Amino acid sequence: MECRVLSIQSHVVRGYVGNKSATFPLQVLGFEVDSINSVQFSNHTGYAHWKGQVLTAEELNVLYEGIKLNNVNHYDYILTGYSRDISFLETVVDIIKELKKANPSLVYVCDPVMGDQGAMYVPENLLPVYKNKVVPLADILTPNQFEAELLTGRKINTEEDAIEVMDLLHKMGPETVVLTSTDLPSKQGDQFLVALGSQKISKVSDGTNTDQKICMDIPKVDAVFVGTGDLFAAMMLAWTHHHPKDLKTACEKTVSVMHHVIKRTITYANEMAGPGKRPTPAQLELRMVQSKADIENPAIVVEAKVLQKSSQ
Amino acid sequence: MECRVLSIQSHVVRGYVGNKSASFPLQVNTICINVSPVLSAGYSHWKGQVLTADELHVLYEGIKLNNVHHYDYVLTGYTRDTSFLEMVVDIVQELKRANPNLVYVCDPVLGDHGSMYVPQNLYPVYKNKVVPVADIITPNQFEAELLTGKNISTEKDAVEVMDLLHAMGPDTVVITSSDLPSRLGDRFLVSLGSQRHVRPDGSRTTQRVRLEVPKVDAVFVGTGDLFAAMLLAWTHHYPTDLKTACEKTFSVMHHVIQRTISYAHELAGPGRRPSPPQLELRMVQSKADIEDPAIVTEATVIS
Repeated sequence: MECRVLSIQSHVVRGYVGNKSATFPLQVLGFEVDSINSVQFSNHTGYAHWKGQVLTAEELNVLYEGIKLNNVNHYDYILTGYSRDISFLETVVDIIKELKKANPSLVYVCDPVMGDQGAMYVPENLLPVYKNKVVPLADILTPNQFEAELLTGRKINTEEDAIEVMDLLHKMGPETVVLTSTDLPSKQGDQFLVALGSQKISKVSDGTNTDQKICMDIPKVDAVFVGTGDLFAAMMLAWTHHHPKDLKTACEKTVSVMHHVIKRTITYANEMAGPGKRPTPAQLELRMVQSKADIENPAIVVEAKVLQKSSQ
Repeated sequence: MECRVLSIQSHVVRGYVGNKSASFPLQVNTICINVSPVLSAGYSHWKGQVLTADELHVLYEGIKLNNVHHYDYVLTGYTRDTSFLEMVVDIVQELKRANPNLVYVCDPVLGDHGSMYVPQNLYPVYKNKVVPVADIITPNQFEAELLTGKNISTEKDAVEVMDLLHAMGPDTVVITSSDLPSRLGDRFLVSLGSQRHVRPDGSRTTQRVRLEVPKVDAVFVGTGDLFAAMLLAWTHHYPTDLKTACEKTFSVMHHVIQRTISYAHELAGPGRRPSPPQLELRMVQSKADIEDPAIVTEATVIS
C-alpha cells in the first residue's frame, strides 16, 4: 500500500495528542506519515504545567516551500486537528488547495476542533474560518455535537435533528461526516453515548447517489482523556481508506480501536493511581504503543446500526 | 514492558532521519519515546527551523515542572550547535540524578571518510563532556579515531581504540563501520563492538565482537539514526550479550536497507541512480523485520 498522509498537528515531547496521537497508529497500519508540527510543547495543556514553542503561519509556509521545491508535494491524505491561530489555519487552507490541485483525488480529513459541552475552547474568530474556508474543502469531517451545531447553526435534540445537521454539513462540503459524540439518549442506557455517521457518495458517472447513515451506542468511560479525538480522526482516515464505501465497517473499526486503547489506558491509569484515587493527566496518557495489536487488527466491540440506506 | 526513552534529534516533515528514524522502530518495540524535535529539512532544497538551546531548556522545564522527568534511556544524534549540545549534557546529567540507572545512548556524529561535517568546535564538547556521560556510543571509524587521537589500521588498533573509549566513559562501544579489510572480500565492511562488564566478584570482563557487513552501493540518510535506536532496543533486551544485540541490530539495518534499495531502483528505472526522495528508508514497510529480525549477519567473538 503506497499511501502518503500529511498531518499538520501539535507535537508534544511526552504523551499522545496531535501528531503523537496520529502518527504511530497510521504508521503501524502501513501509511507513510509526513508531519508538520504546529506546536511543540513539553506535554498537553491538561497538565499542571506546559511549556514550548508555537509554529507561526510564516514558518509553516517555509516548511511547505521546502517540500514543494523538492517536488514532493504529493499526498493522498491531509489530516488536521486542533488549531488556535487564524492565520495558521488560513495558511493550512492555502496549502490544502495547492495539494488538491497537485492531486485532485486527495482526501482531506478534518477534525473541526472548536469546543465541547456547550463551550468553545478556541478563539471565537476561528468559527467563520472553519465554516467558510475549511469545511468546504474537507472530505471527511469529525465534529462533536457542539461543533456540528456551531457550524450549521442548528441544535440537535433528536436523532432526526442529527440527521438533518449531517445533511447540512454534507451540503457545505464533506461527503463523510461523523458526529463523534452526542447527548442523545442511548437505547442501551445512560452508560452509553450516541455517535452517528453519514456518507453521501455521488457517482458522477451514472448519477447515482449512495447514502449511508449509521448510529452507534458507545460505552462511556469515567475519565477525561486527551488525544482521543486526534486518534479517532486518524483511525477514520485509515479505516475509510480500507472501506471507502462502507461507513458502517469503517466506523465499527475506528470506534473499536478507540475502545481498546481507552480500556487499556484507564486500567493502567487506575493501577498507577491506586485505589480510590483519581488518575492524573500523566497517568491517563493513552497506552498507544502497548495497543499496537489492537490498532493493527481491532476486534469489533461496537456494532453500528444502519439508519437508512438509499440508492437512487 | 515499561521503558521510556527521551530522544533529542532532528525532525523532518518528510522522510526518515533523526527522530523520524528512531521513533517508529522503537515504538514497535514497545518503547515509549518522547521526542524533542530540532529541525526540519529536505533534499536539494531544505527549509525549516532550528530549536535553540534556550528553547530546548524550556521544553525540558515543562517536563520537570510536571515531575515526569524520569527516563530509562536518552538518545541523541546529529547536532550542529555547541550550546545546544551543552544543554543536552546538562539535561542528561539531571536525568541521571533522577534515575541513576538511566542509559545514555549517544551517536557522536562528527564526520566520516576522513572529514568533519559538523563545526569543529563540537569536537571538544563531545570529547570532554558528552562521551564521559554516555553509556553506549556508536561512532564510525573516523569519529572513534578523532575522539581517541589514535588511528585504526588493524583489528588490534580497533580493539585498543574501543578500550580507550571505554576509559572515557561508555561501557558499550560499537564502531559502526571501518575501512578494515573484510574476510569476506571487498563487498563487505567491518564493524566491531566492545562491552565491558563487572562480574559479581567485582572483576572486569570485556566482550568484543566483529561483524562483516555487506556494503550497499548507495548513499542513505538516517541509517545511523536507525542503528543507534535499534542498538538501544536490542541492548535493552540483551544487556550482557553484545553479540546478539549487534546481530539483531545489523540484521534490522540489512532488511530495511535491502527493501529501500529495491524500491528505489524500481522507482528510478533501469540504469538510473535513485534520487534522495526515492532513497528514503522504507521504514513502515519494514515493520515486521523491525519487530522480529531474521538474523542475516553473524558476529564473531574476538578476544
